[in-house]
Amino acid sequence: MAALTTIDPITFEVIRNALVEVTEEMSVTLRRSAYSTNIKTRADFSCALFDRDLQTVAQAFAQANHLGSLAEMVPRIVKEYGPENLGPSDALLSNDPYRGGAHLNDLLLVSPVYHSGKIVAYVANLAHHVDVGGGAPASIGAFREVYQEGVIIPPVKLVAGGKIVPDTFNLVLSQVRAKDETAGDFRAQIAANATGGRRMAALIERYGVEVIAAYVAELTAYTDRRTAGELARLPHGRFAAEGCLDSDGFTDQPVRLVANVVIDADGVLFDLTGCDQQRRAPVNATFSQTFSACAYVLKCLIDPDIPVNVGFYRHVRVVAPAGTVVNAIHPAPVVGGWEVNSRLTDVILRALAPALPDRVPAGTKGMICHAGFGGVDPQTGSYYCFLETLGGGYGGRRGSDGPDAVQAHGQNTENAPVEETERNYPVRITRYELVDDSDGAGRWRGGLGLRRDYLFPDHAASFTILADRDRWGPGGLFGGGDGRLATYILNPDTDATPLGAKATVELEAGDIISYRTCGGGGYGPPHERDPELVLHDVQQGKVSPERAREVYRVAVDPVRWVVDETETVRLRGDGGRP
Amino acid sequence: MTTRYRLGIDTGGTFTDATLIDEVTGNIAIAKVPSTPADPAVGFLAASDRILREQGVAPEHVGYLVHGTTVATNAVIEGNVAPTGLITTDGFRDMLEIARQVRPSLYDLRFEKPPPLVPRHRCIGIPERLDAQGRVVVPLAEEMVRQAGRRLREEGVGAIAVCFLHSYLNPDHERRAGELLREVFPEAVISLSCDVAPEFREYLRASTTVINAAVRPIVARYLSTIEEQLRAADFAAELLVMQSSGGVFTFAAAQEKPVFMVESGPAAGVMAATYLGGVLGHKDVISFDMGGTTAKAGLIHDGRPRVTKEYEVGVIARSTGGGAKGHGYPIRTPVVDLVEIGAGGGSIAWVDSGGVLRVGPHSAGADPGPACYGWGGTEPTITDANLVLGRLNPGFFLGGEIALDVDRAFRAIEDRCAKRLGRDVLTVANGIVEIANAAMTNALRLVSVQRGYDPRDFVLVAFGGAGPVHANWLATEAGIRTTLIPMSPGTTSALGLLVTDLQHDYSVALNQRADRLDAPRVERAYQELAEQGCAALRREGIDAADVRLLRQADMCYVGQSYELTMPLPNGIVDAGTLTAVLDAFHHAHDQAYGFSAPGEPAEFVNLRLTAIGTIAKPRLRDAPSRAGDDRSALKETRPVWFAEGGGFVDCPIFDRYRLAAGTVFAGPAIVEEPDSTTVIHPGFVARVDRYGNLLLTPDGGESR
Repeated sequence: MAALTTIDPITFEVIRNALVEVTEEMSVTLRRSAYSTNIKTRADFSCALFDRDLQTVAQAFAQANHLGSLAEMVPRIVKEYGPENLGPSDALLSNDPYRGGAHLNDLLLVSPVYHSGKIVAYVANLAHHVDVGGGAPASIGAFREVYQEGVIIPPVKLVAGGKIVPDTFNLVLSQVRAKDETAGDFRAQIAANATGGRRMAALIERYGVEVIAAYVAELTAYTDRRTAGELARLPHGRFAAEGCLDSDGFTDQPVRLVANVVIDADGVLFDLTGCDQQRRAPVNATFSQTFSACAYVLKCLIDPDIPVNVGFYRHVRVVAPAGTVVNAIHPAPVVGGWEVNSRLTDVILRALAPALPDRVPAGTKGMICHAGFGGVDPQTGSYYCFLETLGGGYGGRRGSDGPDAVQAHGQNTENAPVEETERNYPVRITRYELVDDSDGAGRWRGGLGLRRDYLFPDHAASFTILADRDRWGPGGLFGGGDGRLATYILNPDTDATPLGAKATVELEAGDIISYRTCGGGGYGPPHERDPELVLHDVQQGKVSPERAREVYRVAVDPVRWVVDETETVRLRGDGGRP
Repeated sequence: MTTRYRLGIDTGGTFTDATLIDEVTGNIAIAKVPSTPADPAVGFLAASDRILREQGVAPEHVGYLVHGTTVATNAVIEGNVAPTGLITTDGFRDMLEIARQVRPSLYDLRFEKPPPLVPRHRCIGIPERLDAQGRVVVPLAEEMVRQAGRRLREEGVGAIAVCFLHSYLNPDHERRAGELLREVFPEAVISLSCDVAPEFREYLRASTTVINAAVRPIVARYLSTIEEQLRAADFAAELLVMQSSGGVFTFAAAQEKPVFMVESGPAAGVMAATYLGGVLGHKDVISFDMGGTTAKAGLIHDGRPRVTKEYEVGVIARSTGGGAKGHGYPIRTPVVDLVEIGAGGGSIAWVDSGGVLRVGPHSAGADPGPACYGWGGTEPTITDANLVLGRLNPGFFLGGEIALDVDRAFRAIEDRCAKRLGRDVLTVANGIVEIANAAMTNALRLVSVQRGYDPRDFVLVAFGGAGPVHANWLATEAGIRTTLIPMSPGTTSALGLLVTDLQHDYSVALNQRADRLDAPRVERAYQELAEQGCAALRREGIDAADVRLLRQADMCYVGQSYELTMPLPNGIVDAGTLTAVLDAFHHAHDQAYGFSAPGEPAEFVNLRLTAIGTIAKPRLRDAPSRAGDDRSALKETRPVWFAEGGGFVDCPIFDRYRLAAGTVFAGPAIVEEPDSTTVIHPGFVARVDRYGNLLLTPDGGESR
């Protein structure tokens, strides 16, 4: 039995790498054969490998956010469906938020790996589909309950014995708008699991079921050991912070998030008691989305070299009372759950700032910032859907500025190339650039937000903004300023109309929607910023001479491109020291 | 025969290697001089001078010179590029700043994005716009282009990149902008994206064009310095540079499109493997090149190395997992597809905080080097492990130039690893080798299985100083039956410079569904590309009879984004051709991803044409056939550790230079030559072929 296998450190290292490779190969297959821009280009998916007891063994991350979902959802749906009902080359599909899932767009596909007539492992992938039906194209928008958000899929077989189950496939496809893309993405998900299953079966063939099981047990113990060792080095204490989402999509009442991070001899506990009660609005996270935020932070605090598996997840201890926005219960809508997850990550990091001032950034974009739209393509006559999420400013860190225009935290999706987008969808992107002066000022300034304008030249379309940060910008740290607010504007160059951060708009041909995302928070007082860095920002056009003067208290000579030393000393009143 | 010599100069990080081939005798001579990173031209000229002097060859007798260089890559990595401006569509000047909007490392709160190669104040947006069909939506604001040119001139910029949206469909605005810029700023070196990389996805195209522009002045200066000095020294040879794709092009072409030569060095090794495979009748080869810091695996299918267009300059070790991009600067020119991992002779073995033995990615490099060099290194490396296991000869490393200290190697493994693991040194040394082997086997799998090829159909050609030490084991693990170890494996890469053809790669965006495609239109497009290619080769003095044209098409299902590159036959493209290509595409998709969708529409994304000017290859020299048999080549017998032999076994050690063609012997055995060591495991046999190559196969199996 497993316990009888002697663990050899060399074989251990070989098997450990091979297990990760299983998931990496799945990722390559999924990405390269997918159809929707969101999966193939923006990499909005993740793959994982589970042991026969449904514990996470290895993961390939494209999106860190998914990791918690996979770890939570796979055991639940397989146990519910019954492993005994899963045959070789079957695949189980589900997206149910209330079975450990996230929002409905995240479709999980899990397949058993068989050896000698027994299930020896599972492979799974989670991919964000551009549309799953519901009240608006791309299945995002402000609704009152989950039933309005799209098709809810309990665990059902999408593949049986290596063949697509037509009843399931057709039933799901009939609910969604972009049928060709969805069908193509399903095939890519199926191919990914097939690839992973083959690789895993080959490994088991080579080493034997019990040997692999023994090494997997040692692998999780190893991760456990190293994680515990890293966490023991963190400063003890109870660290608290609060923050909020600006609105819930129906009311302007902010959605309050409270994080108490307790670090003691037992490790790290994320106590989220005090977060608002769940809303009849899209800003509710499922427990797995909240778990993902906490897991993300914990992973940032340990040696990046430690492999992630159940030995790590064991250390992610979360208290999230049921019925709150961080652990919503049926039938709360959840499409904005990732917005909660993203802001929660920001709040947790802020709580840790006094404990770990060298490691933690000032406030970041801290939202997913969805842009989704769809309609009937006038060229093809078929329904199309598009979804993407936009980057923003990252927070300043001790010793370095926050990078401009990036994704934050557990979200790391790529942008959709303008040319690819325009070629495949009837939209024109008319601007894609940084937003000058959007930085939260600081000794190390926040990154700039970005602007992206969508023009619909020849048809009516339905556009949904599901975002945030239009009332409170990302917070500065240790005297740094807040990042500039995000704005969402209809027809910015003609009769500019501000839109909320959560809105579905029916557009006519010729309309433009303009996103300007927030800048990151600054770190440290802006008047302590090195004047040469301010000069550089002014020369680059990222900071205006006026703001340099007023906020950073640096005078720039715009002809010779030098710091006006005398004037800067006068402005700073302290000798202009950095 | 006045120009009977071919000269290859390969500038590496530590050494500059010169290879001289006598086309008449097939003799190959090698010389090494230290590289001179501050001014690589100095090392180049020293290497060429030294080998000619040593071999008594006059410069005018060299008919052909090929250079492998990292000057373009280094300029990018070190940020030592020419001040450059970017002209792009109004509203999109921050393309380089935003890049892909991703963080290069997911869990690092202190990550940085690579700084843009063109600072923001030199990126200028110009009112103009094409739609996704290439139609003009906003006409080019010509006066604004002139103003931008004047501004960049005042800024002291030397190079300008122009990249407008959708110019891959319609280059008119870019070409006109180029003319206007030349009008107001004639000294500027201008690169247009429609010339450099006419493919869709604006950031990738812009990045490629900017790198081209930014390194052009540097490469031009470097190559013209060399050219002047060579001409002054009476060299009349055609001067060529290795491209990342494995072909060569003239100094003049390199000065126009230096972005095509960023991976000049590593491509040479793959070309050598291609050539060696070809000579022996193996068209399907996996190349494996292991040096001091990394190991690289490449794949040659049907006599052609696989090339990729997904490449980032400035990223050291690569694999192709689903992880985040954004560590470097992407380019979309053809690059020989290599999987590179941080496993070389100098890779350090260590025990991590969880008590597990690890190898790499840190390397002891050349300074301080492995512990056994005795240069102050205390960390155990793969070389130390091989030495302790008896596989390397302490008195014959680099032919005896470096005396290896077994005791130091032993102590390093003991102190740093064995004690912490509570195991004996030999077990740990063997473990170090096994872990490195597993990582390298994985590289072989990545470059084959993950690209849809079955490694069992391939021959492994292994080289680099450390490659032959590990090759036999790797081949077995990857299911490869035949392993070929060329003569002088340490200089195989340099040989690669001299066995390539002149090559020019062209592409044109098509973006058409296969079922709506007009065959004559495709044919016309290929004809146009062919005319460009033939004209370029004609200018380089290639006879029409020596020109070969390869047609390919990038294809995907409508809606996908990663294309598969499919070959097209030469000859007029008609409806039948397109159907055949489409069928082949469905098949290839099934091979690569495990499914195909013949009912779904497929798309021709880009048409590609490679124009090859065939150059006569040097002959390999025959190995002496009567120089000796395996008895006379036997140097000694020494104990060598083989796990499958249960520990140390008495192992015959052969001198490679005394092994006669036709010799056959069984493992365990070690074959030594000055620049490498070949390990043959128990259960395998080695044969010496007529050229002196070693062919390793399982005992009882036949070499294919």
